[in-house]
Amino acid sequence: MSRVLEPLQYPFMVDAMIVGAAVGAVCAVLSCYLVLKGWSLMGDAVSHAVLPGIVGAYAIGVPLALGAFASGLLCAVLTGYVKANSRVKEDTAMGVVFTGLFALGLVMFTKVPSDLHLDHILFGNILGLEEGDLRNTLITAGATLAVVLGLRRDLLLFCFDPGHARTIGLPTQRLYYLLLSLLAVTIVVSLQAVGVILVIAMLVTPGCIGYLWSDRFGRMMAIATGSAIGASVLGVYASFFLNASTGACIVLLEALMFAVALVTSRKRGLRRNRRTATATIAKA
Amino acid sequence: MIETLLTPLQYDYMLKAILVSGVIGTVCAFLSCFVTLKGWSLMGDALSHAVVPGVAVAHYVGWPFAVGAFLTGLLAAAGMGFVKMKTPLREDAVIGVVFTAFFAFGLFLISVHPSEVDLRAIVFGNILGISDADIVQMLAISVLTLGVLGLKWRDLLLLCFDATQARALGLSATRLHALLLALLAATAVAALQAVGAVLVVAMLVTPGATAYLLTDRFGRMIGLATAMGAGASMLGAYASYFFDGSTGGCIVTLQSAMFVVAWIFAPKHGVRASRMRARFASEGEGT
Repeated sequence: MSRVLEPLQYPFMVDAMIVGAAVGAVCAVLSCYLVLKGWSLMGDAVSHAVLPGIVGAYAIGVPLALGAFASGLLCAVLTGYVKANSRVKEDTAMGVVFTGLFALGLVMFTKVPSDLHLDHILFGNILGLEEGDLRNTLITAGATLAVVLGLRRDLLLFCFDPGHARTIGLPTQRLYYLLLSLLAVTIVVSLQAVGVILVIAMLVTPGCIGYLWSDRFGRMMAIATGSAIGASVLGVYASFFLNASTGACIVLLEALMFAVALVTSRKRGLRRNRRTATATIAKA
Repeated sequence: MIETLLTPLQYDYMLKAILVSGVIGTVCAFLSCFVTLKGWSLMGDALSHAVVPGVAVAHYVGWPFAVGAFLTGLLAAAGMGFVKMKTPLREDAVIGVVFTAFFAFGLFLISVHPSEVDLRAIVFGNILGISDADIVQMLAISVLTLGVLGLKWRDLLLLCFDATQARALGLSATRLHALLLALLAATAVAALQAVGAVLVVAMLVTPGATAYLLTDRFGRMIGLATAMGAGASMLGAYASYFFDGSTGGCIVTLQSAMFVVAWIFAPKHGVRASRMRARFASEGEGT
């Protein structure tokens, strides 16, 4: 029994679980919108694009989160601009812009003398939280959650049917940038937990799980959030015993839950097809 | 000055890196024309991440790394196809779920046995320290991929432009689709060594996108893309001597710079050209 509770005796483990749960919750709520809107690649792009911002912010002595946020947003704006002003497709424009920014960040990294750990940026360092990280994460995550939940209906309509949203007088342009900013903030907050490369999993997988298990948006969000918090806490806990990368453990658990959702979902092709077939036969 | 510029060329490993990068850059650029036309950027990104667990597994069982990587790449592609067929989820979400799961699994394996596989080499590439055995593997992949592309490029082109027409002509769209996926996985494996898992997607998108801005003919697009891909890769490998070995960063930064130049100055599809056209048009209306 004491072995099972052992991780909880270390303050750094408890902190990691709290931060993981907070980050998981924010990402999960946002992931419901991203999955509906088809913005997975956007999440991927923005998360990679924060690198030059972090290095640049370090070089000029600005808070790293600010630099990360700025360059993440720059990536999204640049993508939109390139797409609007050239004939390349959106996914291509995004691919070009985010890899360009990431590569630039790598080159800058070799030229800016710093004590930044590239590994921590890429893979997260949730077990090595510093003084104040816990508080900052909780405040930012809480604020982001409040904005998303406050504008829940507007954002939802914007994701489902932008045309309709515009017709009833919602400021769609502003909602677009709001959603982008929320995405960028969430990514910056999550860097600590899972790092640049795996953030995208936290921003897509929970939403998919929720979507497979429910047709109602409110319930989808609840399921996504619950599964993400569970995966984060359990992932941190499991990584203690496995001595494995915490970010990887969290994401693998989410993937496992997705697999379960895939098998049990009523929306799954096989089961649904069989049921409609039975229904048709019954009718005949 | 000249002497400093020539220093990198005095080292054997630099020459090797420059040549190998050039070959990989060529193959990736060739394929990037199809990827840009088909809108498969996310797929390229996904496959390049999904090969990571294969590298780790191949290392543990003692296979050549390319075999393991290629197999997990294919497995990921099959997994995406399966999940997409079974659920009403959007394709991009499915791709996101599957490739991150694969990458996380790779990271997990490597973190459990940290000393055996060099994670940094996988994520950022390690062309300056490439072994001769790896060079052979990569050249074999490159030659094979180029050969298949050379034989099948017309069919693949039709598939990318108009899958329905391809089917009407009696081509098997499913088989071509699978072929393109396999080629993508193979190229991702080859490029892994040069630029690393994170930046492979740039090699598979940017040259094609740049060439697409410069020409309307597909043959010329391939020519331009491969020339730029090879040039940027060789130059980037050379330049990385002065940037602490961040070869992937240098190559991709160069390719992005080329894209920016083409985007602004392209004779027909550039920003400047369309501005000028717009101005002429409005003047024409005025008079």
